[in-house]
Amino acid sequence: MSVNPSKIGVLGAGTMGAGIAQVAAQAGFDTLLYDVSQEFIDRGLGRIRTFLEGSRKRGKLSAEQEQQILARLKGTLKLEDFSGVGLVIEAVPEQIELKREIFKKLDAACGIETILATNTSSFSVTVIAAAARRRERVLGLHFFNPPPLMALVEVVQGEQTGAATMETATELVRRMGKTPVAAKDTPGFIVNRIARPFYNEALRILNDGGATVETIDKVMKGAGGFPMGPFELMDLIGIDINFAATQSLFEAFFHDPRFRPSPIQQRMFLAGNLGRKTGRGFYTYGDK
Amino acid sequence: MAINSVAVVGVSRLAGELVKLSQASGLTATLHADADAVSTSASLVIETHAGAESDKKELLKKLDARVSGSTVIVSSCLAFSPTAIASWSAAPERVVGFATFYPLADKKVIELSGGLRTGDDSLEQAEEFFRRLGKETARVKDAAGLIFPRILSLIINEAARALDEGVAEEEAIDAAMKLGVNYPSGPLRWADRVGLDEVLAVLEGAHRESGDDRYRPSPLLKKMVAAGWLGEASGKGFYEYKA
Repeated sequence: MSVNPSKIGVLGAGTMGAGIAQVAAQAGFDTLLYDVSQEFIDRGLGRIRTFLEGSRKRGKLSAEQEQQILARLKGTLKLEDFSGVGLVIEAVPEQIELKREIFKKLDAACGIETILATNTSSFSVTVIAAAARRRERVLGLHFFNPPPLMALVEVVQGEQTGAATMETATELVRRMGKTPVAAKDTPGFIVNRIARPFYNEALRILNDGGATVETIDKVMKGAGGFPMGPFELMDLIGIDINFAATQSLFEAFFHDPRFRPSPIQQRMFLAGNLGRKTGRGFYTYGDK
Repeated sequence: MAINSVAVVGVSRLAGELVKLSQASGLTATLHADADAVSTSASLVIETHAGAESDKKELLKKLDARVSGSTVIVSSCLAFSPTAIASWSAAPERVVGFATFYPLADKKVIELSGGLRTGDDSLEQAEEFFRRLGKETARVKDAAGLIFPRILSLIINEAARALDEGVAEEEAIDAAMKLGVNYPSGPLRWADRVGLDEVLAVLEGAHRESGDDRYRPSPLLKKMVAAGWLGEASGKGFYEYKA
């Protein structure tokens, strides 16, 4: 079956999935957004509508453009609707068995030419691809949160991903208005791996009584020129999310001490002090 | 004691910057490759050596013998803890550690640290000196590499490992870190800027002091320093630079 390269499918209507669908629709692709219940789909589409409305009110989008983008977006509850699309991007929750199950189903539902991509940040693309038969046409497309605002997409080559698949997907990412960078399928790819010491070493210095949270943030901004200090940034990302990313890399690198998590982070996670979203992290926020 | 004359000792680009900035701030400042010609009456001595331990130890001993006992010696603690550096002086109470990377111009904050035997008045003198240069200071605990140099060196080390393992190309790594987490510079370009030898000195210092393998330097970084590929200053590092 032939595929339509101007059609993109997105699986999962959560923050990442809806964000990726919005990016695709804004770039002119006919976009299908799948989830397991109409409620999830409506919530995802609602989030996109709110975002676009904000853009229009700030004068970044005309009412006509807004309507055109929304007209290119459709929700679906049936994987079979993906049969003729050129590229499907999976953005379901980070659970390996769930992802593998979905790739098996996608493999059966989609035309043989369809490229299947996973937005995973913490699992091996190769392991997910192994659930499908078309392994040379499976790769990672790692978008950053929130997708409409972050320019980067890591284009991840699994062990069996074909060169042609990398090329086509890279071109599609460019057409989506994003900056693709190629990475091999290794733990944390580029960004999540190389950024680890920014958090981990700051936590270690704090744990050793090297300096206070405020001083470390002040130094990293005032001497390093980083836009945010490590503790401000961890509070924004969420202590739970950051802790999970560190644990996942620590496991994937077979307990290399470079990726050892911090007891401070673990305590905060267990106590439910997760950063801005709970009103309390390394700093306190609002009156929560 | 008021600071009016400063002797800068070292051959690094940072030493040159310190002299220029001191002069621009109304201080009498002189640059010296070693301790021999340092004025015995300088009100503050600052030295930027981050290399071999034997050289640094000898330099501290010479400075100690040369400048008057009340003169504060501010010493780069990129690779050694302020306590270790101060132990090479007969008057450890006058030795203060500072740690930063080239270039000084864009640094709003300079980290200072006293060793176990450093006097509080010495730290205050060092703070006064950097205030005169228009810099804020932050006092942090005694350790090799302090905060910013240590964290940046570890980020660069991880980038060098990823490059060495073939995870991605130089440009891809740098673009990813700028666009994915808003770093002001890509880590490999940043390494070329500050000097790979300085980055390696920080990693080796932290590794030596803590015995923790998380600071183990990347083999690629060590080879590049051995080959003289130090970055911008030598014309080649992770990237090439035209003279």
